[in-house]
Amino acid sequence: MLTKRSILLVDDENSILETLRLVFEREGYEVATAKNSTEAVGLISGNGRFDAVITDLNMEEEDIGLEVARAAMKSKPRPAVVICTGFASMANSRAALEMGVDYMAHKPVELNDLISALNRLISRHREWGERG
Amino acid sequence: MNAKTAAGKRPRMALLVHGNEAVVSSLQDALSERGFVTVVAQDLASALSAITTHYFEVAIVSSQLAGGGDGWHLAGVLHLVFPKAVVCVISLTEPDVLALQAAINYGVREVYQQSRPAPEMISSILRQLEHSSRSSTARIAARRMRFG
Repeated sequence: MLTKRSILLVDDENSILETLRLVFEREGYEVATAKNSTEAVGLISGNGRFDAVITDLNMEEEDIGLEVARAAMKSKPRPAVVICTGFASMANSRAALEMGVDYMAHKPVELNDLISALNRLISRHREWGERG
Repeated sequence: MNAKTAAGKRPRMALLVHGNEAVVSSLQDALSERGFVTVVAQDLASALSAITTHYFEVAIVSSQLAGGGDGWHLAGVLHLVFPKAVVCVISLTEPDVLALQAAINYGVREVYQQSRPAPEMISSILRQLEHSSRSSTARIAARRMRFG
């Protein structure tokens, strides 16, 4: 039986967080939010089990979203990890590639692209999880 | 196909999609030295044909395919078809931010500048393959412990 997909949204801008919450709730996701990396890492390493994590890069510190991504990549089962940023650089893009981040989106984010990428990634992650 | 394989053992396969003969030859030699059998495709059509007949652990694709065609898109297809394979792209120019992001979004593990020596590229690719294999083994062991 397919369970409801769950997602953690991490961004220090309230307007972005609330917009994405509305979008993903309308898409049928169970949505959790965090406004900084500490809160996000706490949710990921606590009881929160997410199918996907979407994080901003620059929040309380520059590129701190990479720490959120790193924590998400370590959790089991591993969620699909997406970085949304308006400040992509060689250093943070290289770090995201080496870490194995699943998707990197530019702000302002094209929502249809983001939703379809996320649906595809979650389906694949669930399939891999079932195969072991 | 140019690597000798041990009798009875399934050969390790690599797909090389590139139109430049010198690049193909140096990568093929480096792969052969590491025990891989290489299938060379010069364009999109022959690459798609190879996908249907072999299982690849490594795929190396030119960002610009001979005769037109987007190497990034092909790399994305290869990642979907062979999710455990290490798929890499070779670019004529030094990879920039956009190339790194394309790599992430297409499931490509690494972008190499074409001028990089072939043995170096292959060593880097095989390190990634080994890393994936270790992670996969650890995942299976963890699942077995969880489910008994």
